[in-house]
Amino acid sequence: MNRIFILTPLIVLLVICIFSLVYLLSGKDPNKPPSALLNKDVPIFESSSLYNSKDIIKTKDLKNKKTLINFFASWCSPCKIEHPLFFEIRKKYPELYLLGFNHKDPPSDAKKYLEDDGNPYDFVGVDSDGLIALEFGVFGLPETYLINEDGKIIYKFMGPITMDILKNEIEPLL
Amino acid sequence: MSSLIGFLSLVFAIGINFYLFLSRYIFKFKKQKFNLFIRLSSLLTLLSFFSLMYAYVVSDFSNYNVFQNSHSNKPLIYKISGTWGNHEGSMLLWLSILSIFSFFFSFTKNIDGSFQRLTLIIQSLLHILFGLFIVFTSNPFLVNSILVNEGLGLNPILQDPGLAVHPPILYAGYVGYSIVFSIAIAGLFQNTDDEWLYVAKKWSLISWTFLTGGITLGSYWAYYELGWGGWWFWDPVENISLMPWIAGLALVHSLMMVRGEQAIKKWIVFLSILCFSLSVFGTFLVRSGILTSVHSFAADASRGIFILLIFFIVTGFGFLVFLLKEPKKSNALNLLFINKVSALVINNILMIIATLTILLGTIYPIIIEVLYNKRISVGGPYFNSTVIPIMIPGFLLMSVAPILSWQTNKINNSKKYVLAFIVLSVLVLIQSYFLNFNTWGFVGLLLGFWIILASIIAIFSSYKIKINIKFFKIINPHVAHIGVGIAIIGITCSSVFQNELDFNLNEGDKFIVNGKTVLFEKIETTNEINFQSLRGKFLFDIEKNQSKEIKAGKNYYPVSKMITSEAGILHQWNKDIYFILGDQKNNEWFVKVLINPFVSFIWLGVIIMMYSGLIAVSRR
Repeated sequence: MNRIFILTPLIVLLVICIFSLVYLLSGKDPNKPPSALLNKDVPIFESSSLYNSKDIIKTKDLKNKKTLINFFASWCSPCKIEHPLFFEIRKKYPELYLLGFNHKDPPSDAKKYLEDDGNPYDFVGVDSDGLIALEFGVFGLPETYLINEDGKIIYKFMGPITMDILKNEIEPLL
Repeated sequence: MSSLIGFLSLVFAIGINFYLFLSRYIFKFKKQKFNLFIRLSSLLTLLSFFSLMYAYVVSDFSNYNVFQNSHSNKPLIYKISGTWGNHEGSMLLWLSILSIFSFFFSFTKNIDGSFQRLTLIIQSLLHILFGLFIVFTSNPFLVNSILVNEGLGLNPILQDPGLAVHPPILYAGYVGYSIVFSIAIAGLFQNTDDEWLYVAKKWSLISWTFLTGGITLGSYWAYYELGWGGWWFWDPVENISLMPWIAGLALVHSLMMVRGEQAIKKWIVFLSILCFSLSVFGTFLVRSGILTSVHSFAADASRGIFILLIFFIVTGFGFLVFLLKEPKKSNALNLLFINKVSALVINNILMIIATLTILLGTIYPIIIEVLYNKRISVGGPYFNSTVIPIMIPGFLLMSVAPILSWQTNKINNSKKYVLAFIVLSVLVLIQSYFLNFNTWGFVGLLLGFWIILASIIAIFSSYKIKINIKFFKIINPHVAHIGVGIAIIGITCSSVFQNELDFNLNEGDKFIVNGKTVLFEKIETTNEINFQSLRGKFLFDIEKNQSKEIKAGKNYYPVSKMITSEAGILHQWNKDIYFILGDQKNNEWFVKVLINPFVSFIWLGVIIMMYSGLIAVSRR
């Protein structure tokens, strides 16, 4: 009994060390959580345009082209920081389809935001109740997803994208 | 040049420790000479540290570390604190503090010479491990391969006086446990008399006091700098520091028992090893970047693996020695239904359960991610609903523990305490009934006031009141507990009874906070030496002639392109009024005002605990 009590710390130590070692060796980055959606099909969604409620975009519209999906809102200040980068992407990759989802925002605020800061998106979908974000597993704004021609999610980033991330992580996939 | 001196002295110091380590088996020399070498290695390590600091102060950008983490237009204090504001420098600080502890330990008198030497040899071993870690993975003396005139700057969030001193004090706590660890291991090897327990007590008190100071500075910083209105967030890095703190508290209390009974040696050794293990584990978790937190440091797998190895060696070695060389049989514990020993044992068990609960919550995300490749986050809700209930019986017990007897079941003046407790309960109940009733608020206030009241009764009924140093030493345990009571009241009030108000304001608007009129006078922008500041100027209580000015806003640091928030706090003895300036929208500013009652009690309570820690060091 006494022996077991004294052995416990050593066993706990071993367990902790093994898990930590596996974690370290697997090269995981705490800032990039694994996404359950990675390499899976884009969730089914349907959204109307911010500017014309009759203009609808659906999951199947994303077939046969690369799409960059960005969840943003006028009330989200980190979104403001990454915003100019989308113009850069726009200029450099005219082929790439830029889809913005306006998340839980009054349409007037969203329009004003895109008027002030410019609109880099090919299509701005409304996600006023946040259901589309829920399907995508959005954690917090902004979040950015890259979809390949087959309609699979090949990349996800949480937080504002930066020049480094664009150069090192997104561009190699384009 | 200074980098070269720094590097060489670092390497020489490691070499001396190698020599000392081997001295046990190969070279034999006298105690005098041994101590001389220990001190020499300490001084060399310090020289190395100060050479790095010198490089920072003179902005020597030929040093790669300085180039990465400093900027010539920083104020001097942040050039100095920049020395440990980065991974490499902070590890060198770690090693320097280890050396300082060895240095002072080599002067300890009233201790068996061979025992002291063995303790210092174990310290040397630790020095070698961490020294090699620095040299091979975290060398702060690398030469910058390109010629530059300017550095990249220090993370602005670290440019704060509170945070400048927070790491050294915190490290003094962490690393202080290395001495306690070495003493305990040496005690296991030599297994002679129990003199080492008294020595261990002093050092563990010193470490605990530093750790308390370090944690408090960190949380005070979080309170006014992060701008979230709270002071504790159950952030992984906070948890990491809390674990050795609680284990250290258990250790200090166990060491008190040595006065009464020679019984709990095995437990003390276990705690001594645990405290330092948790410190090293904390260093590993933070430095490997394995956990995300406000303390974001660059992640580097090779460093992580190296520290993990050190953690494994140190902890494994410690517990293995513990397994193989059990302390010899000691007297059985004198456990009665309620006496001092049983109260201390129960408190120790509770503290260890709390420590393990925090440990589980902290490493659980790592385990889940390895097993299921899913990211989960364990935060406030888990810790609040587990750790706090575990601690509550302990708090109840501590209010009476110091007056319990060592030998018998009897409590002197027990009627007085029962009566006082009933009266107090009724009073707190009435108070809670008239102010909004809240269960946690009630429990917290009752506990806090009860601990204070019981300690005061104990002081007045058990001792003759005299005003001299001896008297303060005698009542010290009670004083420490009064500090805890005050802190509990502060913690309860500031978290349970916090009040939040939101406003959208134009410049010149007036609004009401806590029954007083506040004027949002204007927005000011100024250019400081290394940042631009934007401040909202508020005048509190403008109806009086002496209205108080509060400034809340943000700083923008152009070198690192970062914005930090700067809360404006009006401190009053019974509450803090906490202003946060949000974003501007349609010419209106979003302003959040938090009323945090009795926050000052937390800091006061902690200061009292630290005072008692220091008094206890001088008491045998």
